[in-house]
Amino acid sequence: MASAPTLAELFDPDFLAALQPFSLHARRVARDGRPAEQTSRDRGFGLEFADFKSYVPGDDLRAIDWNIYRRLGRLFVRVFEERRDLPVYLLVDRSSSMYLEDPPRISAGLRVALAMASIALGQHDSVGLFSFSGVLNIDARAAAGKHRLVTFAERLAAFDERDQTDLTGTLGELAGHRLRRGLLVVISDFFDPAGADEIAQALALTRHRLLLVQLVKKTDADPTRHADLHGDIRLLDCESGDAVDLTITPATLARYRESYRGFNDRLTRFATDYDAGLVRIDADEDVLDQLGGLFETGSLVV
Amino acid sequence: MSFANLPLLGVLAGILGIATLLFLLQLLRIRHVEVAVPTTLFWRAAAREAPVRVLRGVFRHPLAYLLVLAICSLLWLAFAGPEAHDDRSSAYRVLFLDGSAHSAGGDDFERAVDKLTGDLAGMPEGRREVIWGGARNIKLLKAGEDRLLLDRRLASLAPEAAPSAMDDQLRLLSLPGIAPESLEFVVYGRAPADPATLESLPAGIRVSRAIDYPESGPNRGIAALGVNPAASGRWDRVDLLVRIAGTPDAEPVGTVTVQVDGQPLGDDRLQRLADDLATVRDLPADGRTVEVRLETVDGLAVDDVARLTLPTRRVVPVALAGDLDPAIRHAIEADPGLEVATEDASIIIRQRGGTPVLDDLPTLVFAPAANQETAFEIAYTGDESAEIALRASVAALGLDQIDAAGLAAEAGRPVGVQLRHAELPSISVWEELLVHYNFTGSRSFPLFVSRAARWLAGEAAWHPYLAAGRPLPSPSGSSLGTVADPTLDALGTEYVLGAAGTIVSSRGDEAVPLLSDAVTERNPGASLAMSQAGGGFAGTGIVTWLILAALLLLGAEWYLYQRGLMP
Repeated sequence: MASAPTLAELFDPDFLAALQPFSLHARRVARDGRPAEQTSRDRGFGLEFADFKSYVPGDDLRAIDWNIYRRLGRLFVRVFEERRDLPVYLLVDRSSSMYLEDPPRISAGLRVALAMASIALGQHDSVGLFSFSGVLNIDARAAAGKHRLVTFAERLAAFDERDQTDLTGTLGELAGHRLRRGLLVVISDFFDPAGADEIAQALALTRHRLLLVQLVKKTDADPTRHADLHGDIRLLDCESGDAVDLTITPATLARYRESYRGFNDRLTRFATDYDAGLVRIDADEDVLDQLGGLFETGSLVV
Repeated sequence: MSFANLPLLGVLAGILGIATLLFLLQLLRIRHVEVAVPTTLFWRAAAREAPVRVLRGVFRHPLAYLLVLAICSLLWLAFAGPEAHDDRSSAYRVLFLDGSAHSAGGDDFERAVDKLTGDLAGMPEGRREVIWGGARNIKLLKAGEDRLLLDRRLASLAPEAAPSAMDDQLRLLSLPGIAPESLEFVVYGRAPADPATLESLPAGIRVSRAIDYPESGPNRGIAALGVNPAASGRWDRVDLLVRIAGTPDAEPVGTVTVQVDGQPLGDDRLQRLADDLATVRDLPADGRTVEVRLETVDGLAVDDVARLTLPTRRVVPVALAGDLDPAIRHAIEADPGLEVATEDASIIIRQRGGTPVLDDLPTLVFAPAANQETAFEIAYTGDESAEIALRASVAALGLDQIDAAGLAAEAGRPVGVQLRHAELPSISVWEELLVHYNFTGSRSFPLFVSRAARWLAGEAAWHPYLAAGRPLPSPSGSSLGTVADPTLDALGTEYVLGAAGTIVSSRGDEAVPLLSDAVTERNPGASLAMSQAGGGFAGTGIVTWLILAALLLLGAEWYLYQRGLMP
């Protein structure tokens, strides 16, 4: 079994430098955030003029528009749009399936997580780090500050292999934490035994905007690329240990492909229906190149 | 239908065994290779639809089983070597490839080989054999041997300058217990069959010819070549006789040339006795080789030339010692091949009391009967056994011509011959035979003296003629070693010469020509029916078709497998 990248491998200055052009923009963030760069619904003392409102006692006298008062004889104050931060919650899959194969999917997953954290922290957004397998782990509460990137990298590098994937249960647990609405980035292979429908239903219930990062390998779509998948075999599920005996024939391969295609179609349909982002990262290929495709214009709007 | 390699029960048992084994294999729980995967989520549906084989589980693929069973059964049947034959082809076949001079003309031999090779492909291997019929009949391919072996064995063979020995082979097959009950003797080539031999064959043997050859073209050749003592009476000369034969449509006899050791004789030496007969008189009997060549253009060249080794006759110088009976001297003087010599003698003849000079020469001694047990005591030097030497010496010395009974009656004791091995040949005879028992007065005495002198001098015998494929004729002259193979002589069989060429005898190398009227006259022999051998759908063909069918089914299985239609 291949191992996850070390801190030195993960915290690669070249990799982080290559992320500088990328930015993450929310169409609108929730109220009550910290001042930052994301467009929010809050009105106050920002730089961008938003509207006028009638003066009421207690308003800032500096905001009274005296020109209107001269013309109309009534007091109006100028209100400004306040820029807030976007809470970004990174939910990283640490189940056994992420650590199987060579290279393991977790390598690409940790790089994606670090990249998203780097981009968000770089624009003063707060970033929280969660991991899951059978249960939800809170690895870092949402907070801002570029200096936190090192901490994130350390936490990510310290990830170890856990047991079975339970994404649906994890999402329910996450909902119980009443986090400020933000962007939930799910980094996983989505190989939840519950199936794609259950995953979609659980994702639909979340309050956050969603970016699904599906970690795939070429052997997922074409098992004939796997050197051992031929003849009479016993497939062992690396998480549950369940065994499936079968004879690899063109018919069974066709049935597998149909099943896998259905799974991906279901995820895609969910992303389309719920306006969620869905990106498939090939764990065998360079992550940076594939992120370049995600941040096609330099900015990813969620 | 029968099988070459297995009995019918074995074949059926094999198919049953294969069916059972395949059935168990279909049910057998297989030993899986374990492969860890990230998830089995997507494989479960496939596994539900195509479950693996489980011992004692449901037999799920009967058609696939039948297909595999059919393939294995076809291969098993091919291994068993099926042979399909009717009554005609069920006979055992002896394929006789004629390698004699009869098939030496044109492309007769090549056609025969091609036809034989083609016919073999369609015959069951266990029920045929191939005989090479050249100067000697040789088994080229035994029953059961692969026909591919024939090519290599044929590579070094070509028609030989010898008459056909096919009749010998047929006579051998007609002996009781040699041939199977039903046998077809197929001739590949032009070897003629003797009608008398065919008539003597048992009813179960059928002789046929594989190729319907067109009639032979005109041919003329030398059919006889031999020597006789010269009619002129000169003892050291011989007359050569040549006889020409040919087909009825052959051109008249053309030029005949005679060469002695490569030197042509003058045209006047050859006397035409008739159209087909000529002679050369008074050729020196000096052991040289005579070659007679017939200038003709025809399809058969092997009979256009014949060679013969002339006999060797030299004067034997004889030294006489002691008080010899006058009859001995008279006998020597009367023989032109012997001369009395005082020096350089080859042999000595002496009587009791004779001076024992030149003791290192072969000697004819007349000794007192009291000194030796038998009348004739012969010391010989050859490697032959005593039995062979005794038989040869009795003939060579003319002892078989002696009236031994009369001599014995007069002597009052048996007259016998005793042989012993010695470093120097000698003959010791009772001297009492000369005077008291009147041996000198018998007509066989000069013959005895003459032959004894020649025998002691080591003069080899000579043959009036030699001919390929014919028995060695009786020799002229006296010698202990006249045949090339004394073993055959000891067996009392005729020594039949092989192909034209040379043989080694006690005289050295002797030329052997092809002298055969049957060959030269292109005798077609008895008319034979055309063979149907190789035309049937026999063993090898069935095996080929079975293997092809198995390959076809394998292809179908591969196609079905690729299409996902079978596990």
